[in-house]
Amino acid sequence: MSYRNGDTAARAPADESDVEEEALVNDYREQVRYDGGLDELDRVTSLSGSGQDIHAQLAAAATPLEFQATLETKFASYDNYCSLFHFILNSDGPVDLEVPSYYWAWDVIDEFIYQFNSFCSYRQKIALKADNLEEIQLLRDNPNTWGCYSVLNVLYSLIQRSQISEQLAAMKRGEEGSLYAGEYGNRPLYKMLGYFSIIGLLRVHCLLGDFSLALKTLDDIELNKKAMFARVMAAHFTTYYYVGFSYMMMRRYADAIRMFSHILVYVSRTKNFQKNAQYDSITKKNDQMYALIAICVAFHPTRLDDTIHTALREKYGEQFNRLQRGGPEALPLYEELFRSACPKFIAPTPPDFDNPEINIDPVEHHLKVFMDEVKNNMWSPTVKSYLKLYTTMDLKKLAGFLEVEPDKLRCWLLVNKQRSRQVRWSEGGLLEGELINSSDLDYAMEGDLIHVSEAKVGRRLVDWYLRNLARTY
Amino acid sequence: MGPFDYAQDRPENIDVILNGLDRYNPETTTTFQDYVMVQCENSAFYDCYANLALLKLYQFNPHLTRDETITNILVKALTVFPNPDFSLCLSLLPTHVLQKNTASAGDGSLAEAVQKLNSLNNLLAGADYTAFWEKLDSDDLYADLIADVSGFEDSMRVRIAVTVGQAVREVEKGLLESWLNLQGPEFDHFVQVFGWEIAGDSIKVPLNKENKAEGTIVTENVKFEQFGRLIKRAYEQPA
Repeated sequence: MSYRNGDTAARAPADESDVEEEALVNDYREQVRYDGGLDELDRVTSLSGSGQDIHAQLAAAATPLEFQATLETKFASYDNYCSLFHFILNSDGPVDLEVPSYYWAWDVIDEFIYQFNSFCSYRQKIALKADNLEEIQLLRDNPNTWGCYSVLNVLYSLIQRSQISEQLAAMKRGEEGSLYAGEYGNRPLYKMLGYFSIIGLLRVHCLLGDFSLALKTLDDIELNKKAMFARVMAAHFTTYYYVGFSYMMMRRYADAIRMFSHILVYVSRTKNFQKNAQYDSITKKNDQMYALIAICVAFHPTRLDDTIHTALREKYGEQFNRLQRGGPEALPLYEELFRSACPKFIAPTPPDFDNPEINIDPVEHHLKVFMDEVKNNMWSPTVKSYLKLYTTMDLKKLAGFLEVEPDKLRCWLLVNKQRSRQVRWSEGGLLEGELINSSDLDYAMEGDLIHVSEAKVGRRLVDWYLRNLARTY
Repeated sequence: MGPFDYAQDRPENIDVILNGLDRYNPETTTTFQDYVMVQCENSAFYDCYANLALLKLYQFNPHLTRDETITNILVKALTVFPNPDFSLCLSLLPTHVLQKNTASAGDGSLAEAVQKLNSLNNLLAGADYTAFWEKLDSDDLYADLIADVSGFEDSMRVRIAVTVGQAVREVEKGLLESWLNLQGPEFDHFVQVFGWEIAGDSIKVPLNKENKAEGTIVTENVKFEQFGRLIKRAYEQPA
């Protein structure tokens, strides 16, 4: 179970027998593969074969491909998934499968989406470079392989078969989920596949740039430590990364920070118990989340948990200061951090091989959208740092300090005022929230006179009182 | 304020599509397109969540794409600035549309139109309202782009006035005129409808929740549960 970003080192070498098995399965798949065919799920003959076959498939479905896998291997792997999911979903009644481990369901969904993700990225890159004619031809001939509709179809089908949404809704009401699970959903295999498919959808929507739908997908899942995903570390981690990232792209920085902090604190508290492959593999995502939290805090200054704050200083000390200072000097840094920490965005449809130059890497597109927002905000830290020093201030005088036209400064003040109003979640679905003033600084302009006010945090007494009282016992 | 996926007066059939798998069905494209037209005809009506579903259908089925529907959606999204709607729409568009080298002036491409609208969006997000009106006036293409959206200019004035009213108690008349791109009796009328007061050379905005800018002291919110353990222990003490 590993987090991958096209990084070979992070991928555990597969067990030798697995490789052999996989090769066998791929070989078999190769032979039954049709050309074209619209309905992906039905295009491969269903598995009626021996138990040997299905176990090889189950293992293969949860095993990462070799980093250097050829296109043929990727096609074959796709077919392997199709036939496996076809077998699970469309057999006569629920199938009885003994899965290799309790986190197998997560591994399968995770690997399935990872391969979809890397296939789309690879295809886009080949089209943009336009120099590998052989692969271009192969990709042109197979436009439906790893198609977005098939991938979504698998995820939604698993959700529907397991009636997981109904189960979760019942649990939210305080009822027994299994009463609503039906014939399929009462079996752990279907329940787990259905559940992790919801997390899978969150991820796919985010990869496609549909951030509001990504958050909407989690309506049935309550984010807390008792949630089912929390039992599989990688699932727990993935969920918070994508939720946090989607919030960030919706400019709900306070909510994004809340998500990233939660999971980073959790990881730092549990890392001593998790000294295994699972933990090693999340190190990279861990660093990415620190980068994202640095960005969010620069947009929205917040007091972080001490553990996070210390780690952030260690990892991004100087960079963190530069982000917080803002201004044009900080722009390249925002770019660098966003690039290193964002998901590997994808374009869902086959690229236009006839016009290579328009097949821009989706990461560049999202970076551009994001950087416009950064630019619009880059003077806010400057404005705030000055206003903090005064209770009233003349706009022209402040413009003089900043060596900027008064009209320009007026724009900056308006921008900062607007951006300090943010939607913040308090209860209900992830998309809900109230518009609140999220800054400790507020101001209003009366002609050229700026009235500044500050929100002060009063003394916190309860903690102190409780701690001291505890001592008297 | 409702959640992001909520829209007042959303017709039931749209709601059903949005909450089911039909949101991926290419056959619903025309339904959504008609719905965008309804939003264009009525300046007070807007449904971002449904428009994003249409852009996603285009993303999955590029051959169904209608450029003028995309630009209409973007223009509608401008009318709710500084909300992130415009950016969220951009995120679902083809990846080349924002790249400088994919559009040349007057080629009539989607990329050119999107880049033009994006420059408007950036001026609005930067609160440079005077420059926004100048830009809007600078090229006939803008007039074409906003033609379908009825009452666009008035919607923008209202939106600008709202953001200004949050930050300002008093503003110089000439400045507000250029922010709203209005002069004379039309300006006076607009300002009065908003309940703002014209006092010679300046406009007075009555105090509201946002432009009061009061200092506050954040105090602790003490809950009984915090004392739970303490009280429990008190009972556990041996007599």
